[in-house]
Amino acid sequence: MPLPDTMFCAQQIHIPPELPDILKQFTKAAIRTQPADVLQWSAGYFSALSSGDPLPVKDRIEMPVATQKTDTGLTQGLLRVLHKQCSHRQYVDLADLEQKWGKLCLPVEKFRALLQLDPCEHEIEWIKFLALGCSMLGGSLSTAMKHLCEILTTDPEGGPARIPFETFAYVYRYLSRLDPEISVAETEVYLSSLKDSVESRKNGMIGLSDFFVLRRKM
Amino acid sequence: MPRNPAGELPTPGNIRPGGAGGRSQGPEVRRRAGALAKPARRSSEAGSPGGSRGCWATRAGAAGELCASPSQSSVAPTSCPGNFPSRPPPLFPSLLASRNPCPWHHVNLSDSHDALAPTCLEAKLHQKRSGSTPDVASRLTDRASWTMGTYTYTSRPRALPCQRRRYRDGVIQPAEEPMPYGNIMYDRRVVRGNTYALQTVPLPGQPDSIEIQRQQQAQKRALARKRNREQLRPRTPEPVEGRKHVDVQTELYLEEIADRIIEVDMECQTDAFLDRPTTPLFIPAKTGKDVATQILEGELFDFDLEVKPMLEVLVGKTIEQALLEVMEEEELANLRASQYAYEELRNAELAEIQRLEEQERRHREEKERRKQQQWDVIHKHNETSQKIAARAFAQRYLADLLPSVFDSLRDGGYFFDPIERDIEIGFLPWLMNEVEKTMEHSMVGRIVLDMLIREVVDRRLTMYERKEDKQQSVQLEAGLGGAEAARGSLAGPESQDQSTSQSQRPDRDSLPRTLPEGRYTEITSSQERELVEEEEEAVSGEVRKSLGREELSQ
Repeated sequence: MPLPDTMFCAQQIHIPPELPDILKQFTKAAIRTQPADVLQWSAGYFSALSSGDPLPVKDRIEMPVATQKTDTGLTQGLLRVLHKQCSHRQYVDLADLEQKWGKLCLPVEKFRALLQLDPCEHEIEWIKFLALGCSMLGGSLSTAMKHLCEILTTDPEGGPARIPFETFAYVYRYLSRLDPEISVAETEVYLSSLKDSVESRKNGMIGLSDFFVLRRKM
Repeated sequence: MPRNPAGELPTPGNIRPGGAGGRSQGPEVRRRAGALAKPARRSSEAGSPGGSRGCWATRAGAAGELCASPSQSSVAPTSCPGNFPSRPPPLFPSLLASRNPCPWHHVNLSDSHDALAPTCLEAKLHQKRSGSTPDVASRLTDRASWTMGTYTYTSRPRALPCQRRRYRDGVIQPAEEPMPYGNIMYDRRVVRGNTYALQTVPLPGQPDSIEIQRQQQAQKRALARKRNREQLRPRTPEPVEGRKHVDVQTELYLEEIADRIIEVDMECQTDAFLDRPTTPLFIPAKTGKDVATQILEGELFDFDLEVKPMLEVLVGKTIEQALLEVMEEEELANLRASQYAYEELRNAELAEIQRLEEQERRHREEKERRKQQQWDVIHKHNETSQKIAARAFAQRYLADLLPSVFDSLRDGGYFFDPIERDIEIGFLPWLMNEVEKTMEHSMVGRIVLDMLIREVVDRRLTMYERKEDKQQSVQLEAGLGGAEAARGSLAGPESQDQSTSQSQRPDRDSLPRTLPEGRYTEITSSQERELVEEEEEAVSGEVRKSLGREELSQ
């Protein structure tokens, strides 16, 4: 019996079968990510969904939400999202990055301020930008390295958060070069001491416990 | 005893004219049985109708067989001999025919229907003559008497039980009538073997029926066996095309076959069996009145209004579900994260524990090593002190020994001077030899001188003698003794010289020898004394040195 064109009752309203699932996933993502501007974030979400890119969704809900009033508004979760979206390329386009930054409801001024630390033309090496973001998250260098380790690691959350020592040394050199107070020799000495301890114990992977506790002790 | 002796006993002498049981037997049967003296079966068959004349009219099958009987050509000659031509013969061949049914009896039934009429009449006549049905009564009495143990036969007149049907059902199904008569050897009333087993008398009612049943079954079995035998027998072949078998009476007297069945063919046609058609949809009868009105688009259905509850459900459910799921997943992730964190912590602690254990182990080992070392040192110290004590004791013990040992050794001549010894061994013999040589030379010279002197003396003597001779030629005879005395005087000094030289010689030899020897001994003794003194000094110095060393070491 063909459905008549005109509708007479509510039972005739047809709901596409994919809709509830999409809606649910979207709701979950929104709950989890807690964007400041839901509309803007939704635009980013659905564009990423339609183009098949990694979604701008946090893996875990972050309870102390950055308010963008007192701090930068950037959180580790957001950086993680950005890393998920951009890490497949070594260099990222600045415009693209800014767009993604904006989709996460982060202020563009902060982005500019971040880039002023290491000014570049059109594209930036992703690991450097990540390092800059990490340095923006927490005050000290070791805290920044801790965040970096937690973002870059493939270990499960709460685990030892190990990353290759080469990456660690690269980022550490980069960040310490930006800081005028730390001399190059000091950095090298620190890295070499770490390298010895790391390579003797675990096949070139440096974990969170290797430098963070050590630094705290000092 | 058989209940029908006339039927079962083969000899005519045994035939009882039915007095006691009131049995009326047809005279023709009796006569025929007596004449034929046939075996029990046939005669019993012949006898049974004789004993049950009254039943003949009611029995259809028997009649049919009766009329079929003339066709039995095989029986007819034997059973109908010319012994009794006066009597109509069809009775017992027909009975025989009933035992041996022929496939084409059936066909001829209707034909022989008319021919039966006289025999039926006759049977009725016989029945009247007998006037009773003795069989049933006799049977009853039989049963009673048998159970009592002694056999008495009483039989009331009675009708023969209707045992034969008028019509046979078919060729395959011949008459299943119970055998009224049987072999005496199978009669259960005839006791065979031990009669003690029969003392236990069964109840009057029950075993009888069982017995009857068994008997009937046995009869049925016998019939079936017979039927099988008959079926196995070759039959008349099928008629050729267009012909059919027809019964022909070969008897001397034709009989009308009376019990022919009148057949009429009727037909009846029913409709074909059709499927039931589907029940049409029930439509109730229309009630009410039709009224029409016009409804414009959107008047009845407002999408926004209608969709609202659905949307509420959708959104509400979605959000609820999403919240739940997020909570669940967050919880799980938290659990997992804390688990990993704990595991990490535990790993670190394990590593720390291992490290501490290792350290502890190293400490313990170090302690053990040091203890061992200390023990070794103490041992060594003890050993050394004991050694030193022993040494001191030995020295003190040996201190008195040394001089005496040296004295005895010196006395034993173990200490000597090599120069002295060389002089003693090498120089002195040589010196002695040389001295001896020089002495020899001087001796030789002295001897030579002696010889020269002697020569000279001799020569002067001779010369002197010559002169004497010349002077004392006269005195020659007197001078002989004088010469000899001169000669003796001459020899005297010589021997004196020799003896003196000989006596002087050892003196001369001994003197220089004793003199240097005495000097030498003096010299050697002084030398020896010096050497001994030197050695003593050396030994005392050594002892002093060693003592000093010991004191130092101590």
